[in-house]
Amino acid sequence: MWAVGGRIASSFLTLLAVSVVLFVLVHTIPVSPARVVLGIDATEADIAEFDRDHGLDKALWRQYASWIGNAARGDFGKSIIDDTSISRQIADTFPVTLELVLLGFVFALVVAVPLGVISALYEGQAIDHLARIVSVVGVSIPGFWLGLMLIAWGAVSLGWFPAGGYVPWRAGAVAHLQSLALPAIALGLYYVAIISRMTRSSVADVLLADHVRVSRAMGLPRRRILTYVLKNALPPVVTVAAMSFGYMFGWALIIEQVFNIAGMSRALLSAIFRRDYLMIENVVLVITAVFLTANLIADLLYVWLDPRLSR
Amino acid sequence: MSFTRRSFLGTGALAGISLFDPDIVLGADKTLTIALPNNPTTLDPMQISNHDSMAVSNLVFENLLEVDLDGNVGPSLAHKMPEISDDQTIFKFDLRDDVVFHNGAKFSAEDVKYSYEYMLDPKNKSARRTLFAPIQEIVIESPTRIVFKMKHPYRPWFQYMTKFMGIFPKGSREKLGDEAFKNAPVGVGTGPGVFVEWKQNDYLEVKKHANYWRKGVPAWDRMVAKIVTEDAARVAYLMTNQAQIISAPPPREFERLKTAPGIQTGSKVAVGGMWFMQTNTKRAPFDDVNFRKAVSCAIDRKKIAKDVFYGLMDPSAVPAPTVVSYHNAEADKAIGYDPAKAKEYLAKSKYASNAEFELLVPSPPYLFDSTDAAVVMQSQLAAIGIKMKITGMEMPQILTRDIAGTQVASLLPLMGPSDPTFIIQICYQADQLMSKSSGWTSPALDEAMKESYKYQDAAHLDPIYKKIQAILAEDCPNIWLGFVGVSNAWRSEIKNFKPNTGLSIWTRDVQFG
Repeated sequence: MWAVGGRIASSFLTLLAVSVVLFVLVHTIPVSPARVVLGIDATEADIAEFDRDHGLDKALWRQYASWIGNAARGDFGKSIIDDTSISRQIADTFPVTLELVLLGFVFALVVAVPLGVISALYEGQAIDHLARIVSVVGVSIPGFWLGLMLIAWGAVSLGWFPAGGYVPWRAGAVAHLQSLALPAIALGLYYVAIISRMTRSSVADVLLADHVRVSRAMGLPRRRILTYVLKNALPPVVTVAAMSFGYMFGWALIIEQVFNIAGMSRALLSAIFRRDYLMIENVVLVITAVFLTANLIADLLYVWLDPRLSR
Repeated sequence: MSFTRRSFLGTGALAGISLFDPDIVLGADKTLTIALPNNPTTLDPMQISNHDSMAVSNLVFENLLEVDLDGNVGPSLAHKMPEISDDQTIFKFDLRDDVVFHNGAKFSAEDVKYSYEYMLDPKNKSARRTLFAPIQEIVIESPTRIVFKMKHPYRPWFQYMTKFMGIFPKGSREKLGDEAFKNAPVGVGTGPGVFVEWKQNDYLEVKKHANYWRKGVPAWDRMVAKIVTEDAARVAYLMTNQAQIISAPPPREFERLKTAPGIQTGSKVAVGGMWFMQTNTKRAPFDDVNFRKAVSCAIDRKKIAKDVFYGLMDPSAVPAPTVVSYHNAEADKAIGYDPAKAKEYLAKSKYASNAEFELLVPSPPYLFDSTDAAVVMQSQLAAIGIKMKITGMEMPQILTRDIAGTQVASLLPLMGPSDPTFIIQICYQADQLMSKSSGWTSPALDEAMKESYKYQDAAHLDPIYKKIQAILAEDCPNIWLGFVGVSNAWRSEIKNFKPNTGLSIWTRDVQFG
């Protein structure tokens, strides 16, 4: 119980530390956002007034305290560029990114885990070599290039999928899933490689463990032995998978751009270009929170899968 | 609480519902979809500074006059061109009597006076107020007749009407607030498109104005402007019919699109699409005219236009495209590409032994990517012994430095109105927006500009414009590089569409084939 509490506290402190670093980094950019908002012919007096109106003239620590306090209450404030509600923007875009990442994650797991297990079971054989080639290709292909190739193949040549954009559920489940299929593959393929290699390595290690040899010697059925092997091989895979889930939010930045999906990553990129300080801070904070949550869940699963760790 | 399969499925269903997005259904009948590369910043006509915004805002708002696709000024809410006094200071507009706003209110001279006076009031902080500053007084003679009195002759303001201003109903600003004009201008325009929705980073939607005064247009019921920032994705949208018209196709793809089945392309030089190196004559090494001319003569603009922009740029060493009647070929040649002459100028300059400077280049790109071109220029300058350091910087930062006059040199792509004096006015006349960026003024130039404001016709204006270019070539305050060609690609089933010299997509008159 203390171990679980400690991990939660550690995640919370990490989030707080990230928020400080994030805030300082974003607020030390030399050009005032007022210049972006008010236009190129704004006077110094206009800029000073803007800074005053938006609290940008206050001491940094005061601005930080105000921001983090409001964020903790779920109020992310308003964009300094167009005064739209950031909470609303996050609420609009987060589900899109989350769905894309979940689909990419499921695709990665569904392909990677069986591939890794088969690869370990048939180590050194043709299927293992094939799995290795898939892994090398997966980690070597840049996501944006893969995305463009998938568009060229699946959308332009075959016409099976849309070239980009997010089709909502109400346009039909098929159209909706079609719009997310290529982005999910582009997002997930890299992690197919990562997770399958980890699965292979972990399963191969466990296959050499004494308890597996004893089980074999006792004549237990192969399927049952495999169940024991998978259970023991799972913890490192869970860790890598959970970290992958967090990283996918970062990769979604590129995938959403290539596939023109108006998700949270795209909103972040737009905010960066527009110097929308508050939007950047809040979106990155949310992504950080997702990443830390994924890792926390991984840690908890790790403990659950391997009770020795909770002692 | 136990976590059963039933509760898992229930939670999953709820999660699915939460992912439901109240988005629009695309592909409905008579929907025109266009793809734009940049997210608009505002739809407020008196704050517009982005040509992608205009693709939508110009459907919502109109003005007394409009600039057509070829850059010619014609009537819009005025039913004919204005009567102009002999001294070019009084403009009498007869207004249309059959115009209604999207909210159903009848359009009248009161709205025109209100709109302009609101924009001219400094406290309302219109981004382009200074361009209309010569307006002295606005007098209503009748509901359909209005008179603008100017402080002095000022021809370019016709060009600025479409680009930097629109008419909105009297009292609407107080009633709705400026924010409504910026993000959701509902009911306040007279144009063919009625604002429906703007989903940030995704799309903007307008629907047909049922009571639009031009009968028969638009042919579409809905027009959706999708924001597709990635070049390749924009092309893919066109190829798969997810968009029927795309803006700014990547130059390297443009040749291929010309021969693609079912696709039409078009490009033309935009007089307002200027590209130049804004050099500061108050700072070394550009405080030496010989150094400035050495740089100008060392840059092979034609090679850059051909190899980097694939022909979608008109190379010119003076602030005029080569294809217009007022282009001064002699002045262009005087400071155009000539490596031998460049070396001579460099030898005469006081920086012959330590010829180097820093060039600020927009990064990420603004309007088009000029990084490759900067690298080519760097090698061309190195060939005559000038070392140029390239520094990538965001456009707002570059403009901040330019306006303050703290830059040494910056590579500026600007999209201005078609009037040739626009950029001259803001860069080389005292107390203007970019005056400090060049640090250069000239009484002879001021005189020529003042003279130009008196005329509307090419017969009078062309010699003046040529004289302005000659003055600039003589002292070479900035390094002019060329004019960007505006290009579009569209599906063959779209008729009556062609690229707009104003750089924004103009969809009012398109027809479905």
